[in-house]
Order: sequence, then structure tokens, then C-alpha cells
Amino acid sequence: MIGIADCNNFYASCERVFNPALEGKPVVVLSNNDGCIVARSNESKALKIKMGEPIHHYKELVKSKGVHVLSSNYELYGDMSARIMRLLNRFVPVMEVYSIDEAFLDLTGFDDVVSRCHSLQRTLKAWTGIPISIGVGPNKTLAKVANRIAKQTPSMDGVLYLSELAQIQAALADFPCEDVWGIGYQFNQLLKRNNIKTALELTQVHDVWIQKHMTIDGLRLVDELRGNFRRDLDLSPSPKKSIGSAPSFGEAIPDLPTIQEALATHVARCAEKLRRQYSAANLITVFLHTNRFNPKVPQYFQTRTVSLPHASSATSELIQYADSVLQSIYQDGYHFKKVGVLLSGFVPDDFHQMALYTEQPDPRMKQLSNVMDQLNGKYGRDKVRLAIQGFKQNWKPKRQLLTKRYTTRIEDVIRAT
Amino acid sequence: MNTDTRIAIPLFMGHVAAGFPNPADSYIEQVIDLNELVIRDKDLTYFVYVESDSMIEEHIVPGGWLIVDKGLIPENGDMIVAWVNGGFTVKRVQIVSESLLILHPANPNYAPIIVHEGEDYWLFGKVTFFFFEPPKYPIYGDWNR
Repeated sequence: MIGIADCNNFYASCERVFNPALEGKPVVVLSNNDGCIVARSNESKALKIKMGEPIHHYKELVKSKGVHVLSSNYELYGDMSARIMRLLNRFVPVMEVYSIDEAFLDLTGFDDVVSRCHSLQRTLKAWTGIPISIGVGPNKTLAKVANRIAKQTPSMDGVLYLSELAQIQAALADFPCEDVWGIGYQFNQLLKRNNIKTALELTQVHDVWIQKHMTIDGLRLVDELRGNFRRDLDLSPSPKKSIGSAPSFGEAIPDLPTIQEALATHVARCAEKLRRQYSAANLITVFLHTNRFNPKVPQYFQTRTVSLPHASSATSELIQYADSVLQSIYQDGYHFKKVGVLLSGFVPDDFHQMALYTEQPDPRMKQLSNVMDQLNGKYGRDKVRLAIQGFKQNWKPKRQLLTKRYTTRIEDVIRAT
Repeated sequence: MNTDTRIAIPLFMGHVAAGFPNPADSYIEQVIDLNELVIRDKDLTYFVYVESDSMIEEHIVPGGWLIVDKGLIPENGDMIVAWVNGGFTVKRVQIVSESLLILHPANPNYAPIIVHEGEDYWLFGKVTFFFFEPPKYPIYGDWNR
């Protein structure tokens, strides 16, 4: 038996714990660069404010309805998430932290599940101030279905346990395919074309057709909708297959040196992550683009992937390659909004493909990177850095509507009279 | 990269003394940790900064710090931090009934705050500790300041 605990409107809920004046008010939280909406309170959803839209589309609404617009305060959300996950773990020893605000719970052997979940929900609310919903089913996919229904049905008080087959089928009969966890835009289009609308209809499709059109993963998913157990909890997350970083610039930046600085810093960050999972990258992708939400300025988008002569995890080497890719795609005369890097084609970092006539990695480069990691771990991020990363960093994302980091900075804690 | 142009960077100038073994080494157990004394449960603990003198007779001075535990349910007479009248406040709570609370200051210049059911009130947590730098002058008595 698997449950999923999901924090309701997590970012907005975090903000409300430390500023209850936001209770009952429409709240939206913006992406990295104050650009797009990444979280909404129920009141904002009721105003038909959409996820992912640029905030300036709602200028009028924000004014007339008094919508509270906030920058994302990742320090706060990250700390509250860590607290919530540790607290959940006290009650449920086997769990998988699935995202910043969701965790799969292994509830095998728990009895009286619905009332246990209600008390877990009440305890978490009292202890953290964050409301959660819990969906329970025979597997992950049905737990997700249950959780979604519980959130949409106020009378359930945020808990639903789908146990009997008849109950599962009744739930799936009203459940659109597009809301099933793991069915993306493409699969949904395919199902639409074949007139498969509800999750129940999907369970009745023949296995051969599903595997042919939706691969083995699709078959697993459908099998779980039928009530079988196909996807285990992921207790030791496997190393990532690609690592990327591409925050937007605070302001549109036209000049190459500033973009180089930003890119070098992104690469350094990705290389750190790469070394933390003991991988080395064979491919490096750099992309550069203008602000697509501003149709008045000339638009430019370019991306290029190069294969490295040998797999590397050394910051200095990766920056060198990323920088030459950037120079090859850079065009003068545009106001660039974003530069990004993606490292992929990973191999274990002790793996070296022997090849004739290609340069072998210099082991000292990796040692240098490891020393940099240790120093930065001890003295703070980017204390030791390559000169190309720059020192002014005026391309840093802007977060003008940032609330305080109430739990991670002593000067930001709440004040009482 | 041309290896000839690389130079070694000295990480530490000066020398490190090897030193004698410390005869007390084997007696050291652990360091006194203030967190252990004042924090019951770190996942439930928050810090709050005090801005007013409304609790001065309980020695809660402006500029002092409160340790607040969200995991404890406050009982009648406990010191709490709560949101009321549009801000956070530290007070002693008197639980008159399920629908009536009185938040008591500890300063004759402040009036108690009465909270009826349904009013905007959110409990933040119970105060379990507070600390502050000693004031420059004694609170009571004027020593020719």
C-alpha cells in the first residue's frame, strides 16, 4: 500500500506561515527571475490565473483584485520542505522524497489507514503550519489519482484511500487521462485521437497496443491503473542523466563578457553537481536566447551541443569548452535574457575510454576541481573561482519581491511586539 | 592546455608545528552545546526577534530573542507568539474558554488583547526560552547614566 503526501499550494503556504496576513488572499509566486508564475494559492486559481504565464499578462487583475505577487524564496521553501520530510519520516519510516513538496509513503502494514492519515495531516499542520493532502492506493499511480481526487473534493478533508477494485474503477471512470501521473502532452494527444478519454477506458486498452505506442513505461503505468504493483519506491535516487543550469538574467544583457561570466558560473555549478555524483560528462550543450515574452525586441535563439574529446568533470576544462561553444553561437546586437548549459552523456568519473590520437584528461585538473569543492564547501560558494566567472555578477537573477528568509537567516526571523 | 605555463600555487605559507600530544586529549568528551540546552526539537523550532517592551516585567527586552517550539500545545498561562491585529506578538495566554482567549502583556502601559472565536488569530508557537544581551544600564534604578 502506497501513499503520497502532497503539500497544498506549497510555496504560498510557506509564505503564509510567516505572514498570516496572506491567509484567504490571492497569492502568486514567480519564477527565478520574477518572470512567470510558478505557484498559486487557491484564491489565485479561482481568478483563473494560469501556471507558467508571465506575470505582466495579469497587470490589471493584480491591481483590481489585490493579488499578492512574490519572488520565489527558495531558501525558505527548501528549509520548510526539509523539516516536513523529516517530520513525515518520524511516522513513516520508508518513504521516497519525490519533489520539494511531495513524498511517497510505504504504508504497508498500517491499519485504519484513513484515520491514521487524517491524524498525520493534523499533526503536520500544527507542527509546520503547512496543509497537506494524502492519497493512498495499491501503487504509486493510484495514490496520485487518489490524492488528486482528495484535493478536488472538499468533503474528503484531504484524504482518500482507494482500496477495493470497484471503488478504483468508479474513480477512474471520472478521471481524465491527461490528469494521470506520467501522461504528458504527447500521449494525451495520441489517446485523444483514439477516443480514449478516461483513465478507466485506458485500462481496457489491449497491452500490445499500449506497449507499441506508449513503450514499456506506458504499459507499467496502465497496469498500475488496473491495480497491479509495477513501480517501486525509489529509496536511493539514481545519479542524474543530465545536469543543467539556466537562470535568466536580471536585466537583458547584450555584451559577450557578461554572458561569458554568467555561463562560466553556471558551468561551475553543474560541474560541482557532476562531481558529487561521481560522474564525468561527454557532451556539453550551450544555449542562448532573447526574451521570448517581449515581442518588440528582435528575437534570437541558438543552441549547440559538442562532444568532448574525453569525458570530464573538471570545472576549468568544462568552462573552456562551454565558452568556445558560446562564442560560436553568439551574435552581436541582441538583448539576451538567458544563457544555459546542459551536461550529459555521463560515465563514471573513473571510466576512461582509450582512444588513439585524442588528448587524455589531465588528472591534475580533476584534483584541482576537488580542492576547489572542498574550499568552497568550507568557506562559501564561489569563494574560489576561475577568473572568467567574474566578480561583479550583475547578471544575477532579480528577486525584487522577495520575502524574508525567516528560517535560515538570523536577521530575517519574524519580529514580535 | 600547455603544461609548461602552469605554476604551482602555495596553499599555505609558513609551517605547521607538529606539537606534543595533549595529555588531556583522552578526557575530552564533547563540547557544551547551547542548542542542546534550549532546543527540544530542531525541526519544530523557530527564532523570533523581540521589538517592543510589552513584556518587560517578564524580562523580555526589546532586542532579545525567543526560542519558539511549534510542537508544544500551549496551556493556560503559557507564553506564546501569535499573529493578531496584523502582526506577531509575544504574550501570556489566558484560555478563558474554547471561544475566548486573553493575551496578557507584562507592562502596565499595554492593555490585554481579547481574542474572540472567528477573529484573525493564528498561534505561531509556545515560547520555550529567551535570551538577550544584558542592557548597558540596570533596568531598575538610575546609576547616574
